[in-house]
Amino acid sequence: MSFIAIVYCFLLLVAWAIGIARYSRLSTAFKILSWSFPVVFLCNIISPFWVDRFGNNAPILHVESLTDYVFFSATFYYLLKSKMTKRIIIISVVIVVVFVVINAIYWQGFYKKFPTNVYFLTQPLLAIFSLLLFKEMLMYPLKINPVKQSAFWYNTAILFYATTMFFYLGLSNYFPEHNLHDHFFYYFWYLIFYVFDILLAVAILTDNQKITLENA
Amino acid sequence: MPDESIRTLILATAVLFAGISGFIIYFVVLYRNRQLKNKQEQAALQATFQQELLRTQIEMQDQTLDYISGEIHDNITQVLSFVKLSLAMPKNTGESEKQQKIKESRELISQVITDLRDLSKSLSYDHITSLGLSKTIEIEVERINKSGLIDIAFIPEGAPYSLGSQPELVLFRIFQEAVNNVLKHSGAKHFMVRLQYQPDLFNLTLEDDGSGFSDLQAGKNGSGLKNIINRAALIGGSATINSSPGKGCSIIVTLNPFKQQFYSGEPNHQNRFS
Repeated sequence: MSFIAIVYCFLLLVAWAIGIARYSRLSTAFKILSWSFPVVFLCNIISPFWVDRFGNNAPILHVESLTDYVFFSATFYYLLKSKMTKRIIIISVVIVVVFVVINAIYWQGFYKKFPTNVYFLTQPLLAIFSLLLFKEMLMYPLKINPVKQSAFWYNTAILFYATTMFFYLGLSNYFPEHNLHDHFFYYFWYLIFYVFDILLAVAILTDNQKITLENA
Repeated sequence: MPDESIRTLILATAVLFAGISGFIIYFVVLYRNRQLKNKQEQAALQATFQQELLRTQIEMQDQTLDYISGEIHDNITQVLSFVKLSLAMPKNTGESEKQQKIKESRELISQVITDLRDLSKSLSYDHITSLGLSKTIEIEVERINKSGLIDIAFIPEGAPYSLGSQPELVLFRIFQEAVNNVLKHSGAKHFMVRLQYQPDLFNLTLEDDGSGFSDLQAGKNGSGLKNIINRAALIGGSATINSSPGKGCSIIVTLNPFKQQFYSGEPNHQNRFS
């Protein structure tokens, strides 16, 4: 396991610890989100061993792509107010689950390929949910500064993650086609996740069910 | 890696990050502006609410003073004058007749005392806060029924709960306005007041069997009706007025008791306006 990966795992543990320490004060959305960290942490711990044994970590990424989407969309489900959007989130989770299974069986083999198809489906969905939540925040503004609101940080994190991952996946075609070295790729991947997890940790750190209700 | 590709990549990454950052900054600015606008709107709403409340209180005081003045002139002064005349007996009045007149005068004075006590209750609208809307309307209904001007049926349904002192004051004023309209214009013989206290809904229904009015008439002479609708809206409720010529009039004021927290005037709720 590389140093950069170890730092990333440490970051995940810190974010999880913040979630656990503030668990009773968190709203349902962020209680759910705080459990995404140990799952991602576990995937990252297993990943190198899987690479050593089977040559790649494709199965881990297939599972992670699904769990990521389920956790993030569930968080959106509890943050958004619109019943229509909530229904769309539930339907999207069912569609993504079916898609992940079909993709792993027919298009991007579970043991062989990185599930780019899944990310191409889930990242735009997350970006849309994020924009919808930004819109709702503007429609029903709280009395407190937006930078003190967990929803703002979570939304920023997801928007950043969804757009940069989409960008990253786009480049993943460009690099092999032009025979370019993948060092940049590797660091860029971790840079996305460092920023993303720091933003999520800030969201969990700022979340307070009581204050949100008082300022509604 | 070719230099040009690196440059393109760095540029694309920088543009992406700048785009996201720009969006977030724009959102924060927009959000702060929206917060400011909301704050100003709430302040304006509170000012209107306080102003309307003050107007309601003044109207109630005016009406109360009219009523007291009428009572003193038509009832108390008359009775006391009668007592005075009654006690001014000629010297040759017999002992038993004197005793009879004194007894009658004492009864009349007792009646005056009772009437004055009732009047003193009407002097302050604070009793709405202490007695609650249901009891206050009940007392008012008894008073009007005693006057014989109209027959009012009071029908409370469900366990009464407080809607907050200010909304209850406004509701009581709506009731008074409706009674005034009925007495002045409708020529109704019967009037019905129904208070429905449901867990998530409060209804005040006011119905009369008077002459009623058309939409056109309501538009021409309906400042009182407009007041009712505006006041119901001001406390977060709605008023529906139905009437047609010859078929009386029905006013239904509906409120959501949870929404009344905004209008209750309790210190902890007033923070919502700050």
